[in-house]
Amino acid sequence: MASIAAAQVQEVRSITRIERIGAHSHIRGLGLDDSLEPRAVSQGMVGQKMARKAAGVVLQMIREGKIAGRAVLLAGQPGTGKTAIAMGLAQALGPDTPFTSMAGSEIYSLEMSKTEALTQAIRKSIGIRIKEESEIIEGEVVEVVVERAAGGGGARVGRLTLKTTDMETNYDMGAKMIDSLLKEKVQAGDVITIDKATGKINKLGRSFARARDYDATGQQARFVQCPEGELQKRKEVVHTVTLHEVDVINSRTHGFLALFSGDTGEIKSEIREQINSKVAEWREEGKAEMIPGVLFIDEAHMLDIECFSFLNRALESETAPVVIMATNRGITRIRGTNYKSPHGIPLDLLDRMIIVPTTPYSHQELKEILNIRCEEEDCQMSSDALTVLTRVATETSLRYAIQLITTASLVAKRRKATEQRNMSVVSTPARNKITKGETIFLASVMVLSWTAIPTWVLLNIKNYRDRE
Amino acid sequence: MKRKSCLVEPFEEKDDIEKKIRELNKKNNLTMYKNSIWYRSLLAAEKSCLKEDKTKKVHYKFDDDSEMVEEYNVDTQVLLRRAWRVKNKIGGEAKWNVEVGDPIHDANPHIDIADITEAKDQPVLTRRNTRVNLEWRIRNLPYPIETYSISANNDDKCIIIRTINKKYFKKLSVPELTRLNLPLEQANIQSNHHFNTLIILYKKPQQLLDMEKEWFQELAKVKPVKDIPDECKAQ
Repeated sequence: MASIAAAQVQEVRSITRIERIGAHSHIRGLGLDDSLEPRAVSQGMVGQKMARKAAGVVLQMIREGKIAGRAVLLAGQPGTGKTAIAMGLAQALGPDTPFTSMAGSEIYSLEMSKTEALTQAIRKSIGIRIKEESEIIEGEVVEVVVERAAGGGGARVGRLTLKTTDMETNYDMGAKMIDSLLKEKVQAGDVITIDKATGKINKLGRSFARARDYDATGQQARFVQCPEGELQKRKEVVHTVTLHEVDVINSRTHGFLALFSGDTGEIKSEIREQINSKVAEWREEGKAEMIPGVLFIDEAHMLDIECFSFLNRALESETAPVVIMATNRGITRIRGTNYKSPHGIPLDLLDRMIIVPTTPYSHQELKEILNIRCEEEDCQMSSDALTVLTRVATETSLRYAIQLITTASLVAKRRKATEQRNMSVVSTPARNKITKGETIFLASVMVLSWTAIPTWVLLNIKNYRDRE
Repeated sequence: MKRKSCLVEPFEEKDDIEKKIRELNKKNNLTMYKNSIWYRSLLAAEKSCLKEDKTKKVHYKFDDDSEMVEEYNVDTQVLLRRAWRVKNKIGGEAKWNVEVGDPIHDANPHIDIADITEAKDQPVLTRRNTRVNLEWRIRNLPYPIETYSISANNDDKCIIIRTINKKYFKKLSVPELTRLNLPLEQANIQSNHHFNTLIILYKKPQQLLDMEKEWFQELAKVKPVKDIPDECKAQ
């Protein structure tokens, strides 16, 4: 009995948690209030108030569409939350604003030139909102059945039964559809629409016929009529596509050749030009709307001089996204040259940027972050352990301390000791630095102590046989 | 007095005039398809033709970049298949949409998008035209004939199929008639049910018959392409 209950609990967990836990999955926003003032601990963000406030200002400017072709540089030591701020910005912008995240070293590929990779990244971060007629399935869910084929690791098979007031139909679903249905927590009695082309599911509410199913319903529960007529309809839907997606659709090889060319590789500049003029035409006619998004380049010092000059030019074009870069270097060599420059970025590009510095976290903030990560990774930790871990974080780095959480909890689970100290895992090589004077002093003490006894022996060697 | 009689003509043959008007109307009506937008766009379209054994395939390219393919049986002059391909707004190749005839199987289905499809045992609608009838066949419908109510709806320009057990509902559009702006008439609809298949027949009106006949003759002017692209028979 207990095992069945446990299995059910397991099932529920696997349904609700589909995304895996990433390094920044605890971040849900920038943690700002309505007047863009940073809260101390909010939405997974801790401390770094100045930088977050700056990010908030940038966010507001992006939302108002004022900032385009501008660049922001997040600079600071490793583990001070540069990537976290960028992720928070992406979350705060919402799902409709394109946000592309790439690492500086991603552009070095043998299949694609550097500028092509950058152009693709830039075009991925510009969205077009466009009205298009598409096939839509709209109906009330009668039944959702998900079965796993016999044998371990078999493909999942899903069946969805939908109805309107006039008809009822069964649908077969693939794995992707099942996942998104489970993610949306669709259940019998919900009225949903499914975009057949994109597979996007939209929950309209619950059917009035099912209003009595539960005694208590949440405040946000909406009740709607069961749709009538046919299940499949053609409807005008607003799609958001990125320029890059339009490029890819228009440059894909057709026929059976499409089977062999999975990736698109380079896209011809003529196609890009054609699409640009088409989009401009749509905008004039009011058919489409352009949404400049955000391109985030992590480890920006890995870009080389060619990329920087390309970016310089690309930022000047009319439809440029907001480029946010992050780097942890101080004055360093610009890649591809012998010149040194702050952050490894040439001065002319640096002049276009708003520089947002991040500062190292304080002891208290580190503790708070570790606490949040513990919750995110589902680990329980005693306050003693948290103190030790905070010390580890101050002595070494925050990243090291964070990655210890899950490791330590697994070790503790194997030992079946939830509250034991686990110093063998936590103890680390000392990484705190010693000053030069101290080093000289300690070294001389060491040398003295090594040589003291032999010297004394040597000095007294003539008296060796005196006593005899 | 004479003058007066000249001015006011005796109005005795009222019925006769009405008859004349009706006849004139009829005549006009019968050739009116030549003025329809559809017929004109057919004439204006870029056509190419291909003959293969007993079938004649015609490819149309219209002004708005949409394409249409028709397949005729040469002996019976019956349209076997008509398919449309309309350009996507964003661009890229669209799939062929079969209006009449058996559906075309997708050689390389897009695995990434076709993630939700109707189950195999669900009703499937196909269209097939005969010489005198427009015909719809709905397979996998197990309910007896009394279940269905089939009505012509002129507001939506479609035939509506309802079931009393609320299991199936379908609006059948009749593009052939809407293109010529002809009304739907309940009296022309016939239906029967055999082997889990519901068959709906709609008698082609005279105008449509005339137009199809005329158009087939018009197509004879399009010269078939001589060198038929060599299809890989081994596959």
